[in-house]
Amino acid sequence: MPLKEFLDKTCFVGVGSTPQGQLPDKSGDDIAIWAFQLALEDAGLKKSDIDGLFVQSSFGNQGSLDEIGQRLGLEPRTSATVNPGGGRLFQLAALQVYLGMCDYAACIYGTNQRTNRNRFAGSPHHPSGNFQQVYGQFNPGSIAAFNFRRRMHDFGATEEQLGAIAVAQSKGAALNPLAVFRDPLTIEDYLASRYVIEPLRLVDFCFPTDGGFAFIITTPERAAGLKKRPVYIAGVGAQDSYLQLSHPDPMYHPSQPSNARSLFESSGFSPKDMDAVYVQDSYTPNVLSALENYGFCKFGEAHEWVQGGRIELGGDLPVNVNGGQNRETYMVGWNHTADAIRQLRGECGDRQVNDAELIMCAYSHGLWQTTQSFILRRG
Amino acid sequence: MSEYKRPLPVVTEATKPHWEAAREHKYLIQRCSDCGHSWFPPAPNCQRCLSSNVEWVEASGRGEVYSFIVYHQGWHPGFADSVPYNLAIIQLEEGVRVMNNIVGTDNDKIRVGMAVEVTFDDVTEEVTIPRFKPA
Repeated sequence: MPLKEFLDKTCFVGVGSTPQGQLPDKSGDDIAIWAFQLALEDAGLKKSDIDGLFVQSSFGNQGSLDEIGQRLGLEPRTSATVNPGGGRLFQLAALQVYLGMCDYAACIYGTNQRTNRNRFAGSPHHPSGNFQQVYGQFNPGSIAAFNFRRRMHDFGATEEQLGAIAVAQSKGAALNPLAVFRDPLTIEDYLASRYVIEPLRLVDFCFPTDGGFAFIITTPERAAGLKKRPVYIAGVGAQDSYLQLSHPDPMYHPSQPSNARSLFESSGFSPKDMDAVYVQDSYTPNVLSALENYGFCKFGEAHEWVQGGRIELGGDLPVNVNGGQNRETYMVGWNHTADAIRQLRGECGDRQVNDAELIMCAYSHGLWQTTQSFILRRG
Repeated sequence: MSEYKRPLPVVTEATKPHWEAAREHKYLIQRCSDCGHSWFPPAPNCQRCLSSNVEWVEASGRGEVYSFIVYHQGWHPGFADSVPYNLAIIQLEEGVRVMNNIVGTDNDKIRVGMAVEVTFDDVTEEVTIPRFKPA
């Protein structure tokens, strides 16, 4: 079955987002269930309508499928834990809806990673032992820092150029009631921000927050009777790689170019058709790699291309106008999908992308082991 | 010599020859006897042809800095007193990339492309950790 037959056959019809930031006295599962209730309400559905359950685990052994399923009191026709989740989870949920294995798929994620003070440092794993810890690699942001250092060498990129991303995202966050950090950030503030892993500064890093997101996916026929305007899945792409540093070119998210080819070739759209873009930006250099690999600018030029407000609201290509994961909230990309859907419904008020009809969302996890992409279309 | 507070190697079946050789100031990596592919960190089978006919070979210890970063925050208490400390990806002559530290120079003198060679840091009486220094 060609991939394109799947396109436009499923849509997002419900979005739930809890407050973000610090939610003391709640577990990740409490928050996940809260988000699910909000998504049901948003769609105008009842719990009993849900016959597909897709859960992403969160740190601290939370988000277990059994636990969430039991607390929700569901008997779904199909259910799965999908890790790493995000784009992959939505793709698998939508595919099961398309195949008729369920009618209404709920996708759920909640975390209390802030309150729980989760550490994202690497842990010893077999068979490689603990080479990372022995040499002092304790933060997954290291790879983004290596990446940007290499970009500085290969293409003459500067730290000030990288700062354009955090500055642009802060402008979106300032207009976003959901965003945890809404203070404006100037390039001077950026350059004064302390290094965490040089050449990256504090504001280049996502900020682990408590919060939850949930979505409901169904078919266009079923969407017709629901509360909100549907948002169609009009393009999907994916590419994984487990070569890590053995990859011939490991510094620029090398899974993304073939992901982009499948996304645009199957959908018939081109990067120029996109009204906005959301990039899983655990670290700001990820934005640069995605803009190049998905074809929005030439390889090796993104750090120049993002200057002058081009990726801000009102610019040629608004990127992460929710504020990104360093300003809005760190929800492993779920917050980006939520904002894309709300943009396509025209619900974003002051930070609405004018007449948004097509939005690309790009996910990546780990170093670049798994990448997925979507084109979402206004219904 | 003050007490070494950073994490020590967790020696597994797969990594034992590497760490034992380090005590003798030798830098060992693995090579597939069937297809000639080399890799790091150690693993029980070749990642290219899946052969488990794996041999340990002494690397030249020479390479160049592929990329490097500087930690200004010490997440591990053993590294807290060491900030800012560097972490580098080094491309060995054998084509393998390894993550390690550059010693014997200031962080602000490290450059991408800089030639480096292995050196051995006897951190305790039982443990030696290979690091790299400017060549």
